[in-house]
Amino acid sequence: MSMAPRSPAKRRRPWPYPLRRVCQALPLVVVIAITNFFWLRLAPGDLADVIAGEAGAATPEFMAELRRQFGTDQPLALQFVAYLKRLVHLDLGWSFRYNESVLHLILDRLPATALLLVSALLLALLIGCAAGTLAAVSRWRAVDIAVSVLATLGFATPLFWLGLMLMVLFSAHLHWLPSGGMATLGVDTHGWARVRDIAAHMAMPVFCLAAYYLAIYARLMRASVLEIVGHDFVRTARAKGASRFRTVVSHVVPNALLPIVTMTALQFGTLFSGSVAIETVFSWPGLGQLSLDAVSSRDLNLLLGILFVSSLLVLAVNLITDLVYGWFDPRIEVQR
Amino acid sequence: MPTRREFLVKSSAFAGASLLASLPAGAQTVNGASVLVANTLPEPAGLAAGSTPANPTNVVSSNLFDGLITYDENFRPVPQLARSWTESADRRAITFKLRDDVKWHDGTPFTSADVQYSIMEVSKKVHPIARPTFAQIVAVDTPDPHTAVFRLAQPSPVIWAYLDTSSAFIFPKHLYAGTDPLTNPYNAKPVGTGAFVFKEWNRGNYIRLVKNPDYWDKGKPRVDELIFRIIPDASARSVALQNGTVQYAPLTPVSLIEARRLEQNPNLIVDSKGWRSNAPMFFMDFNLRQKRFQDVRVRRAIAHAINTKQLAQAVFYGFATPATGPVPSYQKNFYTADTPQYPYDPARAEALLDEAGLHRDASGVRLRFNHLNHTYGEDYQRAGMFIQQQLKRIGVEVTLVNYDLPTYLRKVFTEHDFDTMSAFYAAFADPQIGVIRRYWSKNIIAGAAWSNGSGYTSAEMDTVIETIQSEQDPQRRTDAIHQLQVIAQRDLPSINLGELKFFRIYAKRLENVNTTPIGVYASLDDVAFGAASAT
Amino acid sequence: MSRPVQFPPSRSLRPLLAVLRVAGKAPSLAAGTLMLLAIVAIALGARHLTAYDPMDMVGSPFIWPGTDAGFPLGTDMMGRDILSGIAWGARVSLEIGVAAGLLAAAAGALIGAVAGFYGGFVDEVLMRVTEFFQTMPALLFTIVMVVVVRPSVATIVLSVALTNWPQVARLVRAEALRVSRAEYVQAARVIGMSRPRIVVTHVLPNVMTPAIVMISILAGNAILTEAVLSFLGLGDPNVITWGSMIGSGREALQTAWYMTAIPGCAVLVTVLALNLLGNGLNDLANPRRRGAQRGVL
Repeated sequence: MSMAPRSPAKRRRPWPYPLRRVCQALPLVVVIAITNFFWLRLAPGDLADVIAGEAGAATPEFMAELRRQFGTDQPLALQFVAYLKRLVHLDLGWSFRYNESVLHLILDRLPATALLLVSALLLALLIGCAAGTLAAVSRWRAVDIAVSVLATLGFATPLFWLGLMLMVLFSAHLHWLPSGGMATLGVDTHGWARVRDIAAHMAMPVFCLAAYYLAIYARLMRASVLEIVGHDFVRTARAKGASRFRTVVSHVVPNALLPIVTMTALQFGTLFSGSVAIETVFSWPGLGQLSLDAVSSRDLNLLLGILFVSSLLVLAVNLITDLVYGWFDPRIEVQR
Repeated sequence: MPTRREFLVKSSAFAGASLLASLPAGAQTVNGASVLVANTLPEPAGLAAGSTPANPTNVVSSNLFDGLITYDENFRPVPQLARSWTESADRRAITFKLRDDVKWHDGTPFTSADVQYSIMEVSKKVHPIARPTFAQIVAVDTPDPHTAVFRLAQPSPVIWAYLDTSSAFIFPKHLYAGTDPLTNPYNAKPVGTGAFVFKEWNRGNYIRLVKNPDYWDKGKPRVDELIFRIIPDASARSVALQNGTVQYAPLTPVSLIEARRLEQNPNLIVDSKGWRSNAPMFFMDFNLRQKRFQDVRVRRAIAHAINTKQLAQAVFYGFATPATGPVPSYQKNFYTADTPQYPYDPARAEALLDEAGLHRDASGVRLRFNHLNHTYGEDYQRAGMFIQQQLKRIGVEVTLVNYDLPTYLRKVFTEHDFDTMSAFYAAFADPQIGVIRRYWSKNIIAGAAWSNGSGYTSAEMDTVIETIQSEQDPQRRTDAIHQLQVIAQRDLPSINLGELKFFRIYAKRLENVNTTPIGVYASLDDVAFGAASAT
Repeated sequence: MSRPVQFPPSRSLRPLLAVLRVAGKAPSLAAGTLMLLAIVAIALGARHLTAYDPMDMVGSPFIWPGTDAGFPLGTDMMGRDILSGIAWGARVSLEIGVAAGLLAAAAGALIGAVAGFYGGFVDEVLMRVTEFFQTMPALLFTIVMVVVVRPSVATIVLSVALTNWPQVARLVRAEALRVSRAEYVQAARVIGMSRPRIVVTHVLPNVMTPAIVMISILAGNAILTEAVLSFLGLGDPNVITWGSMIGSGREALQTAWYMTAIPGCAVLVTVLALNLLGNGLNDLANPRRRGAQRGVL
């Protein structure tokens, strides 16, 4: 990685940029872990209440026994210390509701959510950037207007409602797509058939999740391209005889992508949030559904684990995009 | 070149079409083995009903574990692990003769030691409902490996209503003794005595059971495999039932509206009979610790203002009947219709409130209180809204509060921080197991969920309840139960709003589905696929 | 061929044409404002437009829209009038949107201004706090907050504001950094004005623009969030909102999908109006050269 020349007076610590960023992020992780713990304890009612409720009756002894098991009868400080100790060993605790380790549960559901998120992001990026570029460079005003209108609509549509409406159309009426879940029940598929099955189940949720970000990327790309197009080097390229297509693809787009990179980082947190609603609508077996379950059953260990992991993920994505950005644009280092 | 999106859309449409073609009209055989696909929801916490008592567990557990007895259509005991039984003359000893040809799924023989361990070490110690129900059992003697004798301090007829596998659960002592039954790993991979053997539990997906080749009841089970699918989405469950992917769904698998629609489906049966031993009842409690609710006229007025017929129709879509008291009308041996009633009469309601001194103020409101909705789903929230609207008409302003389950339980049973609440609960097969919990002053236990929430205390009622618990003569006991209903309706600490009809949905061509009152908790060992009907 | 004679427009049409000309220059702003005005009108006039209490069970259930003159938009599964629900729901949605938007904008502007102006340690700390709030997945955070406290309009407004102020803070901070270097601010420092006073009298008024522009976008976000929460059953049970209508219609989706479609459209139109308004304001605040650049390519 090239280091741009820096004035010796400004820089005192010549640590490499990535390391600095990681160190900046660490205290945040700790703060998140701590705040999570205390603030979730604010919720009245605990897991013992839930289990007792589901049993249809409970004696105080039964509940005391449950609480002893969960460790929730200990004083708060002790619980917190235990929690920190586990965290250091990367042990996220035990979910008494599911009778499984929290880490295991999360890792189990993570791929499903990741599949959804990554597909939606890719879809939104590809189509959004293509549409945005098209809107910016097209000679027909109509294209620009059409893209803008669609983008604005995509921005305003409640995703979960879009999902419900699509379900009515494609599932209940046309029977083209399955209405929920990740794979068809009762049929054990392998290989290519399994891919097709999952793809069919993924179609609507991914589209809904992508719709919002598609709109954002389209606008952003359009604005970015319009900005780049005004620069000298574009005019130079055209003057040197490069075709319009080539200019756009090899000169304009790569430069216009920088803000997109930043936006992706910023939006990752919201992407995860969006998946909560979408997973509920389409019964997608991912982290979003798991967290709703954890909230309603007061499975604190599980909820803390999910919040912690998702915060880590967001931080990681932020970090990576910062580094990518820094690699793209060396001026950043000096500015910081 | 198609964009990725076009590619996805095309391939998904294609995939959709090919799926439709290959969708089996109710897969009943897979590689020659007959497979029954059922559904449980939500995902159970464990598979042994004795350690994690809850509906989703119970429906699976009965296939893995047999009980001492099971019940017939008239709720009379039928032999299962116990071949026969006798009661001593003073009714203080019940002798069960156990089968000698039963083995646990790991080959260990089943003996009376398992019964002793299960009743004395688990049921009486940690099971929330068994504990009070078995209060009179002081010991379980095991004179020989195939005889178990329950020794009672006092005769206790209620025990006879609580002896099936979901109630008096029998654990394998050799795997549970010395461990904590609540966290024993065998709760997730059970070793039982039942018709099916546990094979695998793919979390979030399915639970797979296979036929027990050494089952004592020859000829059963009649299918080779039993799979419980876990399907969180209601519309997916509905689709699965309609296209035969799931053939048996015991736990109210779809919304009430959807159930009404599926009733029209010629291939499906929507059945409520199997829930009768659970006996779900919907009621509204007043917090009697508040002075304003201590005037019985206020409570009666509110009862007059709620149209229970409309509640049953508009909110529960006919999956309920108006209740006339705390005991459901289909429990013929215990029910009496001869109790004070409060028919829908808003004018009378207003008159009573005026009498009680609660007049309309400048904005037309007589009384304001909050109402904690029951948390188990949309239906109960709608019921809350219904109550709110009905009471608005007589000048009572109700504020609805939607807590989630843990907070709700805390607020009602620990902190008593509520004005009114509505809930459903299981009255169970004998009023002593369920109903008295709501009216007994000794059951006002802070921190215990589903105890006496209203705080109702009446010496008269307590006497009646204690009679029910101790009376030997069946006729006098039934009289006491009738008396309970009369007092409950007269004092009205709680308005009994409806007898709910939970339901199961299963394929019409399944044979021998258990429709006894414990149908929903019964094993599926007798079920087989009949001739496929014309679709 | 002679040029066609052009008659000047009559006097009464001139103001209208003037408005149209302005609108043509800023179509988003115009469209957004118009739509929003219409929605506000419906919300304010709910009492007169509709005959029924939206929560009251006044008709037979499951009436399809357009089939019964008494219930133009039909009834839901409990017999409640959907038109009343839409009109009265508009009120609640707008209230929530505006309240949350204002709160988030105010908090974000204040924090951003302070961070940008003070710089140094204060800036670091405030930026870490902002990052903390941005790292938590917003909806999860909101859900946990609503569950912990209690589902009600106030809780929703508060939690939406809490998750949305960081974006405002970032924007305002960038502006504040710029403004802090301006001469009049330096001058104020020199004459000894206290720093808090400078923030309030000089910095804030000059950095408000991005915050104000964002209010309408934030309001749109708030309405969307409320819809999701109500849909998930975490809304306030004592009011009918568009989100609660969508949620309760979910059970009957297979047959009576209009119960979900109609309130969803209402949300869409309102958030659209707010976004258009926001974009229009943004364009006003940051005019950009258009058209000129395309010619290069």
